[in-house]
Amino acid sequence: MSILDRLEFYLMHFMPYPDIVPGRPQGQWVDIPNTHFDPKKGHKLYQEYFDELALGDELGFDGLVVNEHHSTFYSLMPSCTVAAAALVARTRRARICVFGTPIGLTYPHRLAEEYAMLDVMSGGRLECAFPLGTGMEYWVNPVNPSYARERFREAMDILMQAWTQPGPTRYDGRFYQYKVLNPFPLPYQKPHPRIYVVGTGTEDTIQFAAEKGFGYSQVFTPIAQQLKSFANYREAMTRHGHQLDSGSVIISAMPYVAETEEQAMSEGREHILFYFKNLLRTTAAVNSPPGYMPVDRLRKRLEMTNGQEPEITWEALNTVYRTVLGTPDHVAERIAFWCEEAQSSKIVLHLHIGDMPHWKAVKNITLFAQEVIPRLRRTRSPSLGVAS
Amino acid sequence: MTASAVRDFLKRDVTASGVRVQVMEAGHGHATVYLHGAGTMSGFGDLLPLARNRRLIIPIHPGFGASEDDPRIDSVLDYAIHYAGLFSQLGLIGPIDLIGHSLGGWIASLFTIFYGHRVRRLALACPAGLRVPEHPTTDLFMIPPERLLSHLISNPETLKRFTSVGMTNDMRIARYRETTSLARVMWDRNYEPKLGRWLEGLTTPTLVMWGEQDRVMPAQQAEHWARHLAHAQIETFPGAGHLLFAETPSAVECLEAFLNTEHLEGSRTSEV
Repeated sequence: MSILDRLEFYLMHFMPYPDIVPGRPQGQWVDIPNTHFDPKKGHKLYQEYFDELALGDELGFDGLVVNEHHSTFYSLMPSCTVAAAALVARTRRARICVFGTPIGLTYPHRLAEEYAMLDVMSGGRLECAFPLGTGMEYWVNPVNPSYARERFREAMDILMQAWTQPGPTRYDGRFYQYKVLNPFPLPYQKPHPRIYVVGTGTEDTIQFAAEKGFGYSQVFTPIAQQLKSFANYREAMTRHGHQLDSGSVIISAMPYVAETEEQAMSEGREHILFYFKNLLRTTAAVNSPPGYMPVDRLRKRLEMTNGQEPEITWEALNTVYRTVLGTPDHVAERIAFWCEEAQSSKIVLHLHIGDMPHWKAVKNITLFAQEVIPRLRRTRSPSLGVAS
Repeated sequence: MTASAVRDFLKRDVTASGVRVQVMEAGHGHATVYLHGAGTMSGFGDLLPLARNRRLIIPIHPGFGASEDDPRIDSVLDYAIHYAGLFSQLGLIGPIDLIGHSLGGWIASLFTIFYGHRVRRLALACPAGLRVPEHPTTDLFMIPPERLLSHLISNPETLKRFTSVGMTNDMRIARYRETTSLARVMWDRNYEPKLGRWLEGLTTPTLVMWGEQDRVMPAQQAEHWARHLAHAQIETFPGAGHLLFAETPSAVECLEAFLNTEHLEGSRTSEV
């Protein structure tokens, strides 16, 4: 069986607030004045964004993915669980993926309870990925970034204890103490929903995921670096005696599909650039608060950038990220290539990108579902590359 | 001991309770320990005049400079406990003269609170640790890196000396590591809420020194220290900022005069 026979398509939304504040080298994060928020605009955006995700459910995406960021125009989802709850109520079929609340920024038992609620409410449609949270989150949450990694691990231990050991139990940790750990309800899926760890390639996160037998996903890092991390992860999973499957690692891509390549470029390109230049962008001082980044990783980053913020160009983006604009054939071909290259059958797709208007997101989601997915489902047949 | 110019420190590694730290030393005479602030990159050459007639010892905190990390340290009090062990390791049995700058002042205060019999005189240069809501300590973590030096230094000549040194990657990494060590003990609060209460029992003669242009810890905090310390003398230095000893040689002279005075109110009789 090839990877391509088992492909699963996950539609992800960042829910950005695109009315950015210009002239901020530190980007749209942390100390962005929140007086720029217009609730009427926010209301309209939420309606459009949830419509886009609900459309993904109707059109056959296997999963819908939401995540969480704080104090940023990058995302209107400071609560991943609130967004997921709205999706549970509006959808019937797709898995609901919380990718997710940084567990160290909340109480671990509370996240265990909220995720269990989502799983029970959805009849077992929940999947969870656990991020450490970006460095930016630690400026705006009352949690010391220099203990972020230790706290994350302890919180994950608590969540796993809550979900796998019959309650009540007790937990005495460095950061959390529970006299009675006894969350209610418990997840619908047994023993618990599928769990991933979201990383950026930091070695100890990869080792942690593999040691615990969790899946692994890496976001917004150059493809070559991701592939290296996946190889490390698979080696470590095998060493720890855990089973790997084609969904153990998740990859992500940012496609824009249109009738012709020219049209895809003219409709999609500016929004992808907007996303990288305006929404994702921040500075090293902001994304690495003291102690957040292990010193060896900082050394690697400095060796690559020499302390300069890298220039974002279209060409550079397309060699290091999975961006593709074009016809259904072209997009399908690239996605098949990326899945085979990473040996991953699970691909997260960003189809609303940056400041993209609703109509383009609807078009992109629809064309991807109706033209790209069927091509990929038939990739074993010789029709690929000849169709349309 | 006759006064003679001391040109540099001797550096050696010392292991105390399993952690290897660097100890710098110069001169001979009464043991005088200087506990540094939250960065070591500015160096300690400005303190060398103190070593003319005393044994000046500058231990580098765990997590800073050439010292190892100590993952057990997660509070400023842990540093004071570290020094109790290190001083014993160094054979500093009799009461020492203890100087602390900034974070080092906070550590020195706690050390003296808990080990008062081991300190003959205490000198605090713009010490951290006291909560003064009317004149709060600047949250250095919120100062963008490019503006940090101008917060620490007031004297333009001193600033020139520091800014003329280009940053290498190794220096950036060293700086990030020291800021990390600082964050481990000071991210949540840059003061100890009970410090004022704890200081009230001290009988050690204490000198509190402050640069009048300190942009990190406002000089008005000196009065608040004096309020809690029964035997404190306050000296302020016009024009000087937070890196007090780098900014004005008069700070070292003042320190020397205080440490050399024979009898001070509250002074202990035991001498080494």
